[in-house]
Amino acid sequence: MDRAFRALIERTFGDLLTGPVRQRHDETEMRIRPGDVPAVVRTLHDDPALGFEYLGDLAGVDTGTDFQVVYHLWSVVTPDWLRVIADGIPRDQPRIPSITFLWKGAEWMEREAYDMFGLVFEGNRDLRRIYLPDDFVSFPLRKDFHLPDDASRSPGGGVRPMEDAATPADAAAATVRRTATAR
Amino acid sequence: MTTPTRPSLDDPALTIALEHAGIFEPIPMARTERQQEFYTLGDGEMLLNMGPQHPSTHGVLRVVLKISGEQVVDLDPVLGYLHRGVEKIAENSDFHHIISQLDPLEYISSLFCEWSPVMSFEKLLDVQVPRRAEYIRVLTGELNRIASHMLFLGWYALDLGGITPILWSFAERDEIMEMLAAVTGAKLLFNYFRIGGVNGDLNHEFMSRLGDWMGRAGAQLEAGMGLLNENEIFVRRARGLGVLDRETALRMCTTGPNLRASGVPFDIRRAHPYSVYPELEFDIPTRNEGDSLARYLLRMDEVRQSLRIIDQCLHQMPDGPIMARLPRLLRPRPGRAYSAVEGPRGQYSCYAMSDGTDQPFRLRIHDPSFLHLQLVGLLMPGNLIADTMAIMASLDPVMGGVDK
Repeated sequence: MDRAFRALIERTFGDLLTGPVRQRHDETEMRIRPGDVPAVVRTLHDDPALGFEYLGDLAGVDTGTDFQVVYHLWSVVTPDWLRVIADGIPRDQPRIPSITFLWKGAEWMEREAYDMFGLVFEGNRDLRRIYLPDDFVSFPLRKDFHLPDDASRSPGGGVRPMEDAATPADAAAATVRRTATAR
Repeated sequence: MTTPTRPSLDDPALTIALEHAGIFEPIPMARTERQQEFYTLGDGEMLLNMGPQHPSTHGVLRVVLKISGEQVVDLDPVLGYLHRGVEKIAENSDFHHIISQLDPLEYISSLFCEWSPVMSFEKLLDVQVPRRAEYIRVLTGELNRIASHMLFLGWYALDLGGITPILWSFAERDEIMEMLAAVTGAKLLFNYFRIGGVNGDLNHEFMSRLGDWMGRAGAQLEAGMGLLNENEIFVRRARGLGVLDRETALRMCTTGPNLRASGVPFDIRRAHPYSVYPELEFDIPTRNEGDSLARYLLRMDEVRQSLRIIDQCLHQMPDGPIMARLPRLLRPRPGRAYSAVEGPRGQYSCYAMSDGTDQPFRLRIHDPSFLHLQLVGLLMPGNLIADTMAIMASLDPVMGGVDK
């Protein structure tokens, strides 16, 4: 854990942060609003004191209530991985600016997040499905995606209540429990 | 000469052209800007379908080439033929069960696919892995790296039309696979790493095979590489082909040997040390040319470094347990963990979220081949059709990892 780096992040981004900067093991985590992603990422990349020119990963996450896009970045200035969480993307309007203006390589990762979560990355010029066929209708990694396969409903397979479309009440409960402990 | 007409997508002439080009189902409608651009043909251009069953696609991959004569103007890889939805499976499996699902991702170097998720689960659980287990992981991992690079050597030569090297490199790879089979119990999909350690201790068969092999490995590997390293036909074929410069490599999120061949000395083993790599001595080979030859030679340099690491592991191997004490049913406290390892193709990383149950809330697998395949579209334009496979193979993507 790099305490000095946490201070640097807090100093640099101040109001853009929507939650406390958290640290655990070799990771530093910051939360921002989805609309601020281009500005934050641009600063992280271009500021010589930060120098995050290496994008480790881009992942979509469905928390059960809303979506997140999680970026992992690496820089020489800190031994930690920096995790940037774009938090609170609404379910009915899953839109977030693309970062392909900075990392062209994120194009396919954003396509994958679109394919799996239906997240629309504004500015990605090739946002279509990448794994699933073009006529696939739903987004399989969403928590309300209902597994059609009976095997997954067997006790051994252990289906989650949140994936069971028949019990939306459970889904809400599970989400609240998770967010209450995880944040 | 008449002015070139650019047929639109609802043009029946184009539909016929596409059918003639081997794309049997006409493409319905362009969904994106890029697709619109790609499927609009200029004067003298045509589309050619390569794969999904092509002898040199390294798995099941389909590439739509837009060609003008012999030259490739653009290309559009079509993925998903091997998609299994591992991330979805993982969300519905016990933490222990996931490991066996991850092996087939990158069937050439399975240990690295297991490594990063196992590491992130250990972070979620705050487990300290015994030192002996870490050394065993590094030892078997480096062996797997050599096996993978040897297969690359053979494949690459095969894609360029040389038959002999794959026979040599497969002999090498087979020796390593037999060794790993002795310790893991499986020859391809090892399922060896466990949360908190490894599945079995080094046994007599493994050690005797390894000791035997280490005595002659250096000379044997050099002989195999010598078939290509100094082969004028090969060198002239690969030099200057598919040049990737430093800035583009970083912009395209390239990792591993492909990035280091473009002059960036980025290796996660040193950049973000994990396991016992800080205790081991090895160099990070780097090359500045960024062409196919550099990528090939860099992998061969890595093989030499891996031999050094194995040698040190054997000398420094501590005694002790190989598994941390853990309950059978794992319920990490809610949280997030990210871990990355340096595999033979680049960065294998995993982002795991736990909500306090025995199954991960979200498991994101990041595979380097996925991003390297994306590079092909950037490196290909302007090259000949025959170079498609030469460039693609030099990036060394494995479709099992690309499609997840």
